[in-house]
Amino acid sequence: MKRPPMLMHVKIRGERRGFVLWLPIFLLLPLALAVFIILSPLILISIPVFWPRGWRKRALHIFGAAFEVFSSMRGLKVDVQGDHHCIYISAI
Amino acid sequence: MAENKKRVLEMLAQNKISTDEAYRLLSALETEGSTSEDTVKSGTAASMKSKYLRVCILSGSEREHGGKGDRVNVRVPMTLIRSGMKFTSLLPPEARDKVTGALHEKGIDFDMRNLKPEDMDELLEALSELEVDVAGSDGETVKVFVE
Repeated sequence: MKRPPMLMHVKIRGERRGFVLWLPIFLLLPLALAVFIILSPLILISIPVFWPRGWRKRALHIFGAAFEVFSSMRGLKVDVQGDHHCIYISAI
Repeated sequence: MAENKKRVLEMLAQNKISTDEAYRLLSALETEGSTSEDTVKSGTAASMKSKYLRVCILSGSEREHGGKGDRVNVRVPMTLIRSGMKFTSLLPPEARDKVTGALHEKGIDFDMRNLKPEDMDELLEALSELEVDVAGSDGETVKVFVE
């Protein structure tokens, strides 16, 4: 079982402005769960609509694969630095 | 493997080959089997060990002026590449056709429909031995490796 990233560090610096962002993903996960619960009636309605069309399998696969991609992001680091700009993204 | 051994024994039973020849053939098959198993094991171990794909690009001015210039340092987890490749199998057939067509236009003769999960594993295993090191005349360097 892969552990999803807990924090995302984003640092963007331009010629004049810049910002540093520590994104607490571990706090966003409960938020995503809350959104899922809110949307659950809509999901329940869409299931019988899409069930006979063969979308069920594909939708389940897409959700699974998207979560797997998200979970695999731990350790990702993108660091681009120039004379006047800097982009740094790191998933911890 | 077992099929080949059976064939050798059948040939021996039909007197097509002698006992010595059958023994030699069986020994050769066993040696071949153990070698291929070792290769698979070492390949899997290498792919398990390699954790990140690294891309490091250093511009010429960076090296000359000690810290000034463009620098790119990307570290991609191998698990992310594996998951991303699995994601491609979920692409609808129309999208795959479009990608294949676009690649063909660029001169890359690659059909995405032929990409199977077992090929992906093989590709990732081969990727663990990848090392690209390019040094330009102006001092710029491009390094792609797996660590």
